Amino acid sequence: MIALAVLALMLGLVPNGAGQARPHSRQTASRSFQQLSLGANHAREAQREDEAIALYKQALALRPEWEEGLWYLGTSLWDKEQYAPARDILRRFVALRPDAGAGWALLGLCEYHGREYSRALDHLQRAMSLGMGDRPDLKQSAFESVAVLLTRFERYDDSIGMLSAMVNSGQCDAVIEAAGLAGLRIPLLPSEIPEDRHNLIRMAGQGLCAAQQGNSDQALQSLEAMVKAYPNEQGVHFLLGSYLMNVRPQDGIREMQRELEISPSHIAARNRLAEQYVKMGQYDEALALAQEAKKLAPENFSVSIAMGEALLGKGDTAEGIRELEQAREMAPDNVRIRWDLVRAYSSAGRNDDAAREKQEIEKLTQSTTQDGQKQ
Amino acid sequence: MVSRLLSVLVLVLLTLGSAQSQRFDQIAKNAEKALAEDRANDAVHLYQQALHLQPSWGEGWWSLGSLLYDQDRFGEAAAAFRHFVALTSKRGPAYAFLGLCEYETHDYQKALEHFRSWASLGWPGSRELIDVAAFHFALLLTRDGKFVQALYLLTPEVVRLGNAPAITEAMGLASLRMRNLPEDYPPERREMVWLAGEAASYAEHFPPDYPQAGEYANRLVSHYGQQPEVHYFRGVLFTFEKKNSSEAAKEFGEELRISPNHVLAMVELAGLEIGSNHLDEALSLAKRAIALEPNNAQAHDAMGHALLASDRLNESAHELEMAKRLAPASADIRSHLAMVYGRLGRSREARAEAALSLSLKKKEDVLVPPQEKLKIVQQAEKPR
Repeated sequence: MIALAVLALMLGLVPNGAGQARPHSRQTASRSFQQLSLGANHAREAQREDEAIALYKQALALRPEWEEGLWYLGTSLWDKEQYAPARDILRRFVALRPDAGAGWALLGLCEYHGREYSRALDHLQRAMSLGMGDRPDLKQSAFESVAVLLTRFERYDDSIGMLSAMVNSGQCDAVIEAAGLAGLRIPLLPSEIPEDRHNLIRMAGQGLCAAQQGNSDQALQSLEAMVKAYPNEQGVHFLLGSYLMNVRPQDGIREMQRELEISPSHIAARNRLAEQYVKMGQYDEALALAQEAKKLAPENFSVSIAMGEALLGKGDTAEGIRELEQAREMAPDNVRIRWDLVRAYSSAGRNDDAAREKQEIEKLTQSTTQDGQKQ
Repeated sequence: MVSRLLSVLVLVLLTLGSAQSQRFDQIAKNAEKALAEDRANDAVHLYQQALHLQPSWGEGWWSLGSLLYDQDRFGEAAAAFRHFVALTSKRGPAYAFLGLCEYETHDYQKALEHFRSWASLGWPGSRELIDVAAFHFALLLTRDGKFVQALYLLTPEVVRLGNAPAITEAMGLASLRMRNLPEDYPPERREMVWLAGEAASYAEHFPPDYPQAGEYANRLVSHYGQQPEVHYFRGVLFTFEKKNSSEAAKEFGEELRISPNHVLAMVELAGLEIGSNHLDEALSLAKRAIALEPNNAQAHDAMGHALLASDRLNESAHELEMAKRLAPASADIRSHLAMVYGRLGRSREARAEAALSLSLKKKEDVLVPPQEKLKIVQQAEKPR
């Protein structure tokens, strides 16, 4: 409770002492509002939560745009796990204070509890981009929730990026199942895993966490054990293959091919294989795979990257550029596409275009650094 | 004396009225300005003030409702839209917004009614509104057990937007015939819903992508093959492909092993048995289906079709007429009736049913509200 009060001060919600009412034209209403708001704040400070909630509601009935009251009522309801009423109050709060990252975060967490996942993701991401000040608990909850929601919305690579950051900060145990789901590309929240699927998902997660911690032996051991235990399960060969690509590419290729036998429409496996062939200079094989992937997922920017890179490798610069430009349209914030385009434009003698892409890369890098600082 | 007093009173009231009217005009103007300048909070405040002075200002309620809706303040937005609907004859898109707000405030029955009113007016509104409202309408139809109608609404969304996660989930719930919303089904069934949704969505792509649909459906069966509805769904996918009828029959049979009273699996299986000329099996399945659900049009249709194939024409006509009474807008039932009337020598009736079947069939692949289909029937069957 004290922490929330500090947060309110930090947000600038309590300009001249808690509960002071603003001047009001109607004297009686103003007195009444002042009494109610002071009473609400006193009750909250004395941890008489139910009384505080009732008084905040009465005060807000007189002055619906009382920001401090909305915030404290929202947080009090949140503390009492009344997520739907808290959500409704916080929606009014953020409408008045769209710059309040903590407000969006708490709203997103309420929506998460109410299984309004799409809104929760939007609002938590907004909170992260606005920043939540010095509130480590809230920041961590928002970060974790976004990481798992990204998997539920099938944005597995983005999710893995965030989960990796959590592993790096020593939270490996907390993210094992989330990492397993993202790695196997199953769009569930950890709370949605059916009873008989925990073992597979944990094995996948343990492998990914070990890999992220740089523990190659343990990573390989976990992932190989997973494949041995579940040889016909979709996604397991892809996961092992992705790891092996970096250490034993030929084995990685074999695993990806096995994945495609089990899941012929596995776009990421096809794509990863195409990327590997580009690395190895086998552009025809890469292009064939990328073309197949394109048929399966014409709107997938990763597929366009693989295709563009394969075309460039084959010397078809014009088509390669066209493909990469399509990828850029789909994912304008992706730095890899921009670097590919810098190289492609330069080799086509389009130096102005190459310079423009470099500028964009600088902007993107700066904005990523700023976002990181806010988080 | 009294008349002088009255005159003064009238004058005072007129002056007050005129002052109030001027005040309203000014606030309303400021509200519209705030809206145009994207100052949403100011606009909300000003519209509320103006509407307090003049509650009959329809446009004001519309703007206030839209502003509150954009801020996700659905309870307040619903109240504003209700005022608007009460004041105007141009209710079209407002019904959709009202339905959306009521969905969010969990007033599901009213939401469904308002979506139906919106559909009966021809689905008015922007592309974005139609997408959002049709999607939520479909969710509520699923909750109401109208799974086919829900899928009918979701299919164009899949064709236009692909396998977006929310649409996939909605497709999954309807395909597995779960009377749930995305927010309220048991979390441990999420993977099952997702796999079914992916399979159903790929099958509805244009052109259909049956290989990908099959991949997800196989995955569904391999993990959740003991759950009700899974084999029925797999069987329906096989029938979509219009091949593998023996595979489809196997799936419907498996569903009946798991869910012995699954009427739709009986009906589908009966249809396949007719195709394989196993008429006794078909008749037996249809009979069981009717015994379980005497008011199920599809069950009577299956029986009528099986009797037709068995050359029991009068009994067939009787069953199909019963089916027609239960589902007057079904193209398939009309088509079967046309066949049986033809074979009974009732040519005029056969021609009428065939024509009607064709008109209804044409409407099957497009987004047509059920009411419009019924209109076709009513027009065709109007006494001349």
